Amino acid sequence: MIEFDSVTRRYGEKVAVSNLTLQIPRGELFAFLGPNGAGKTTTIKMIVGLLRPSSGTIRLCGHDLVASEGTANRFLGYVPDVPYLYDKLTGREFLKFIADMYGLDRAAAAPKIEEQIDTFSLHGFVDDLTESYSHGMKQRLTFAAALLHDPKVLVIDEPMVGLDPRSVRLIKDLLRAKAAGGQTIFMSTHLLAIAEEIADRVGIVDQGQLKFLGTIDELRTALATHERSLEQLYLSFTAADGTSHGDNGSDVSPRQPAPSESDAP
Amino acid sequence: MSNSAEALSMPRQYEVPASEPTLSYGAEARLLWWVRGRILAASLRQSLETARLRVSLVVLLSAVFWYGLFRLFGGGFEFLRMAIGDDITYGQTVQAIYNVFFASLMMMLVISSGIILYGGLYSSAETQFLLTTPIRPERIVLHKFQEAIVFSSWGFLLLGSPMLVAYGLQADAPWYYFALLVPFMGAFVYIPGGIGAIACMLFVHRLARLRRHLLLVGAVLGGLALVLIGWSMMGRTEGNLLTPLWFQEILGRLRFSEHRLLPSWWLSSGLLEAARGETSVLGRASWAESLLFLSLLVSNALLFRVIAVAVGARIYRRSYSELHTDRARRRPRRDFWLDRLVMRATPLLTPQMRLLIVKDLRLFRRDPVQWSQFLIFFGLLALYFTNIRRFSYDVNYTAWVNMISFLNLAVVGLILSTFTTRFIFPMLSLEGRRFWILSMLPVRRESILWGKFLFATIGSTVPCCLLILLSDLMLQISPLVLAIHQLTCVLLCTGLSGIAVGLGARMPNLREESPSKIAAGFGGTLSLVISAFYIVLIVLMTALPSHFYVATRQASLNPTWVTAWLVAGMLASGLIGIAATIIPMRIGLAAFRNLEF
Repeated sequence: MIEFDSVTRRYGEKVAVSNLTLQIPRGELFAFLGPNGAGKTTTIKMIVGLLRPSSGTIRLCGHDLVASEGTANRFLGYVPDVPYLYDKLTGREFLKFIADMYGLDRAAAAPKIEEQIDTFSLHGFVDDLTESYSHGMKQRLTFAAALLHDPKVLVIDEPMVGLDPRSVRLIKDLLRAKAAGGQTIFMSTHLLAIAEEIADRVGIVDQGQLKFLGTIDELRTALATHERSLEQLYLSFTAADGTSHGDNGSDVSPRQPAPSESDAP
Repeated sequence: MSNSAEALSMPRQYEVPASEPTLSYGAEARLLWWVRGRILAASLRQSLETARLRVSLVVLLSAVFWYGLFRLFGGGFEFLRMAIGDDITYGQTVQAIYNVFFASLMMMLVISSGIILYGGLYSSAETQFLLTTPIRPERIVLHKFQEAIVFSSWGFLLLGSPMLVAYGLQADAPWYYFALLVPFMGAFVYIPGGIGAIACMLFVHRLARLRRHLLLVGAVLGGLALVLIGWSMMGRTEGNLLTPLWFQEILGRLRFSEHRLLPSWWLSSGLLEAARGETSVLGRASWAESLLFLSLLVSNALLFRVIAVAVGARIYRRSYSELHTDRARRRPRRDFWLDRLVMRATPLLTPQMRLLIVKDLRLFRRDPVQWSQFLIFFGLLALYFTNIRRFSYDVNYTAWVNMISFLNLAVVGLILSTFTTRFIFPMLSLEGRRFWILSMLPVRRESILWGKFLFATIGSTVPCCLLILLSDLMLQISPLVLAIHQLTCVLLCTGLSGIAVGLGARMPNLREESPSKIAAGFGGTLSLVISAFYIVLIVLMTALPSHFYVATRQASLNPTWVTAWLVAGMLASGLIGIAATIIPMRIGLAAFRNLEF
């Protein structure tokens, strides 16, 4: 569903993303981990069409993002770290706006909107102007809007920021359910525990380079074998001197798993 | 560790067909207009529910301001009719006034719509959001283009409509002249708006590829061309001020504004045809002639709209990405001479206040929207003042020259008031979500506000006083009037800064991130209207006694009452200046102290 083919993104001399080759198949929940400035947000901005790769190609549901000039965005749901809402619209009006924008049929849109209001418990405030919302409320509404048109790919930048524990639980369960239902989810996060809990595969990026790529099971195996915590493992991959080492000091190369059974359409 | 170079070949069965539902062009347009309508309705409802007094006050003050301009233009046209005498020269003069007025406004509209669109297309959170949706890029361009047209042309409507209505009434124009005003103005503003939009996108698209020194060379060459055009236009006149020869010379120099390809000429010709209300020598009714010009304007407006949309479809997404690459690449200099100068030149202020001033200075310097508008408008004024001496006048016109010098002062004040409203008024609002940083600093809230006031005052006083000094030197004004001008200019800068900072703190909009939207709100409009009244009051209180003082001295009279009036006028304007500074600042400080984040 998402394919990166030798994608490099430069800001002048600085390389924010270096030769990233990665494919995330249908129904996978992929967690993108890395320290600040590692290239996570640049990667996300390229997927959602805000930035173009300096070289290489990104395909979304088979469509080249650059060549398709943003039409691939119709398959996409995006939850940014800082949600954007129109202050002078109510939550319900915003959801209607999103439904219309994605061309949902009026008759189909109304029950969909109600369903999202139920799922994200928006009843208490959905008819107020969004300018009065807290960050958590805005984040919940943004999730509701991003999922309203059943996108084939969901891209989330720091999904749990500003959410209360109940909402965090809700989002975790929902993301797992969506992945099980065939949605591809690309999630950037700083929270290792969340990645460990819900992600199918993890990519650890540092200084624009993919330092580790593997399933959670592979990560757990490494953890169990060497009795190291996930945090220690993460820190070893994102060492301050830019070097990355495996458990015994050897380099750990990112591996591309063959599309698994879950890849079937 | 290197990235895996394993071959990638996503099975094609994952490709989703492109026949997914997508919106038609019309549906996209209706959707974005629906959002605008809801936002406007919610804003109006809120204002009427929570701020009726404020709304009424702004409407009333705007109406008074419009009426004042209407009377001023009416008086001006009456004066010209009387001074010129014959109808043919009067008609030519009105045509020249219309041509020059609309040609100047056209240039300003190109610049302002381009600058506003730059902010709307490349820096706003809304476009960042819309670009991640399936909305077509050309629709986003059109959406922000229409917004830019509204924000850049409201000043044109406020200035232009009283002049056009005043002329219509004075010329006893038929009803259709008044009915055609709105479609003419609407079609006209679309053309410079479209040119500004196309130029903005092309410029940003090429920006990343242009090297800095090339840009600098281009800017210098552009500036030189402007100076040369101004110089050729304003060569020394042979005739004395306001003589028939002088009028003919000036009309001759303004011929450039009659170029048949200028939309401003189409606008002025169409309106004057409608105002004529008679059948032309060709046998066409004046309304028919007028409609021909209107159709010319409308068809060109639509052409520029089509070009802007086509350019948007082709390069907007790419230029957005390129600009954000370029922005991220640039690293601002840590140490800058101006920051050091401000830190050293303000030893009496607390270190925190000095740091706050330097912070605002850095934000101003790094925001091209702010400094480019500042440079353009004050640069044009400097060009005009540099050339003003080339208009000949003899000693009999000293009183006129004195009046022109005060008008120059008023113009500098009015332009400054648009800047204080556009950039100083929104400063506190723009702190918005970052307010917690300021509130956590070991600084009293009063210091934050006073810091912004000092920044605005110093930042405006230096260029404005220099401009007025230039104008006075070129006009060879007496040292006494020069000193009065400098004092008045300081009062204007201080008062306008006080009004903008104080009202900005009293009526902040912490949720809005676009300064033009904050300035166009109720608080900004109120600030602009109060500023305009303040300027008129201060200039009149110093100009009138000064005018009589100069006139009586010229007639070798020296009555003591004129001197007393001059002193009283200066004292009164000083007191008004202090009040205009202190009262809004006190109101702002009280509100800012109690502001909750």
